[in-house]
Amino acid sequence: MKAKLYLEKISKVFTDGDHEVTVLDELSLKVNEGEFVAVVGPSGSGKSTFLSISGALLSPSKGRMFINGKDLSKESDDKLNEIRLKNIGFVFQSSNLIPYLTVLDQLILISVLAGKDKQEAEVKANKLLDRLGLSHRVHHYPETLSGGERQRVAIARAWMNDPEILLADEPTASLDAERGREVVQMLSDEVKLRGKAAVMVTHDQRVLDLCDRVLYMEDGKLVENKR
Amino acid sequence: MFLALRELRHAKLRYALISLIMILIAWLVLFVTGLANGLSSDNAASIQYSSVDYLLLSKDGDQKITRSSLSGQSLNDIGKFVQKDDAAPVSIQMSTVENENKKIDVAFFAIDATSFLKPQLVEGKMFSNDRSNEVVVDRSIKEEGLLLGDKIKDELSGKTFTIVGFSKNQTFSHSPVVHMNVKTWSHLGRPYSKETMNAIALKTDKDTADKIERSYSEIEAVEKKQALKGIPGYQEEQGSLLMMIIFLFIIAAFVLAVFFYVITIQKMNQFGVLKAIGAKTGYLAKNILYQVFLLSSVSLLISNGLTYGVSFMLPASLPFVLSPLLALGCSLLFLGVALLGSVLSLYQVAKIDAIEAIGRAA
Ligand SMILES: Nc1ncnc2c1ncn2[C@@H]1O[C@H](COP(=O)(O)OP(=O)(O)O)[C@@H](O)[C@H]1O
Ligand SMILES: [Mg+2]
Repeated sequence: MKAKLYLEKISKVFTDGDHEVTVLDELSLKVNEGEFVAVVGPSGSGKSTFLSISGALLSPSKGRMFINGKDLSKESDDKLNEIRLKNIGFVFQSSNLIPYLTVLDQLILISVLAGKDKQEAEVKANKLLDRLGLSHRVHHYPETLSGGERQRVAIARAWMNDPEILLADEPTASLDAERGREVVQMLSDEVKLRGKAAVMVTHDQRVLDLCDRVLYMEDGKLVENKR
Repeated sequence: MFLALRELRHAKLRYALISLIMILIAWLVLFVTGLANGLSSDNAASIQYSSVDYLLLSKDGDQKITRSSLSGQSLNDIGKFVQKDDAAPVSIQMSTVENENKKIDVAFFAIDATSFLKPQLVEGKMFSNDRSNEVVVDRSIKEEGLLLGDKIKDELSGKTFTIVGFSKNQTFSHSPVVHMNVKTWSHLGRPYSKETMNAIALKTDKDTADKIERSYSEIEAVEKKQALKGIPGYQEEQGSLLMMIIFLFIIAAFVLAVFFYVITIQKMNQFGVLKAIGAKTGYLAKNILYQVFLLSSVSLLISNGLTYGVSFMLPASLPFVLSPLLALGCSLLFLGVALLGSVLSLYQVAKIDAIEAIGRAA
């Protein structure tokens, strides 16, 4: 099977004042098409750092990463920007919607940024929102939505440009158990339905059964089984 | 501009407040400009609005019309360079006149009654060249209660004149101009000099003016704009008003820069998210500039309206002149300043890293 995301011996070292902190230490990971991977670990263990590097938001100190078989190590900032736009969907811890855009416009913006046709985008956005059960919220602003609804909008936004891979950083952190499960279920469904890949960082033990694989962040590495 | 318009629509109050500040500052700028212009014309309308292009002054007069003194023969030769109709000698003396114990500062202008320097009348008739002691006075003197046919007595010479007409736009050094013919002038005695005049006003081009200047060692041809500066008080007044206007522009630039900067800082996280989902710095910068342009344009339209609206309500004693062209120039400059003020914000946006979108672990 084809690897959507491949990290090869990635290290990340932060210099904090005069001492260095190795947050990621030769971390390797392969995520295949149709796979939904969960990453768990204590706070401060480097989960967000790992996710940022996977999403080309942060460059690693060492190692190489590939998306859809393409090496990103040597790309320029502008090119990375474009790759993020076209190949990567993000769902952030707090939904991070743009406060002055309606739900529909949040999605259309993605197409506008990619220079695509607005009419087509609107059709597509409506379809996505419908599937995520948001059709009655299309013209609402984020401030009038519940936490669960916002997170679902964020997921819809992440799928808008048909990315190869979706990265989610604690998407259920601000939701109650029931809503949280619903959101993760939706992520899982989308991955299976579209043959994409997804990596989700989470603290929520109750949703792990919805994922294909659970990895633990330990000493800067990802391991299959908790020691 | 997808983002710009939607944000303006959503955060109406915030942007209305910024517009309000812009409106007020632009209003102030336009108003002070109008006042500066108005003062200029109140001071020197007699020269500013006359059709003179160049003034021939004596070289030892520091380009000041009141200090210049030319001999009577000069005009005879001038005919070689310009047509007789396009040259008009003028003698000037600042003085005080008396009417029923009221004293009024005036500027005496002695001119040929048929030359192009003759004032435009709003009331009465023009004096002729052969009758003595008839004068035409700027209409602003009517505020002192003077009417046609009234007599004014000159304190310097002790002579009395009859007002036969009122003119408009005839002020010099903030005083109404009293026009008289050369015959009246020549009978006044000291300090009114019979043999000399202050200047010869010319309607001509630069080439001819230069030619004349070269032909006489003791004469210089001074352009109208330059000659205005030589009127007592003119340059000082205009100078301080210009300083005010410049400072207003600088203040506008700073205030707007701070506003846009603070707003941008507030939106750092948002810009981070936008970059994380693939927006380029250029795209975000374009949206900011577009917003600033839109806000400024609307604000300028309103402040122009306010300026002209209020100018109609001003009392006549407050001089205010603002031509549409000047207002447009001021507005464009203001627009430039506003865009300049947003540069700091653009720099901030360029600096924001997409990584800001993912909160650091606490
Ligand atoms: N930009 C940075 N500079 C210095 N240290 C950082 C930076 N970002 C993260 N860290 C440190 O790296 C460690 C891992 O952070 P993070 O990946 O956010 O952890 P997690 O998401 O698992 O809670 C923490 O100790 C954090 O303080
Ligand atoms: Mg984190």
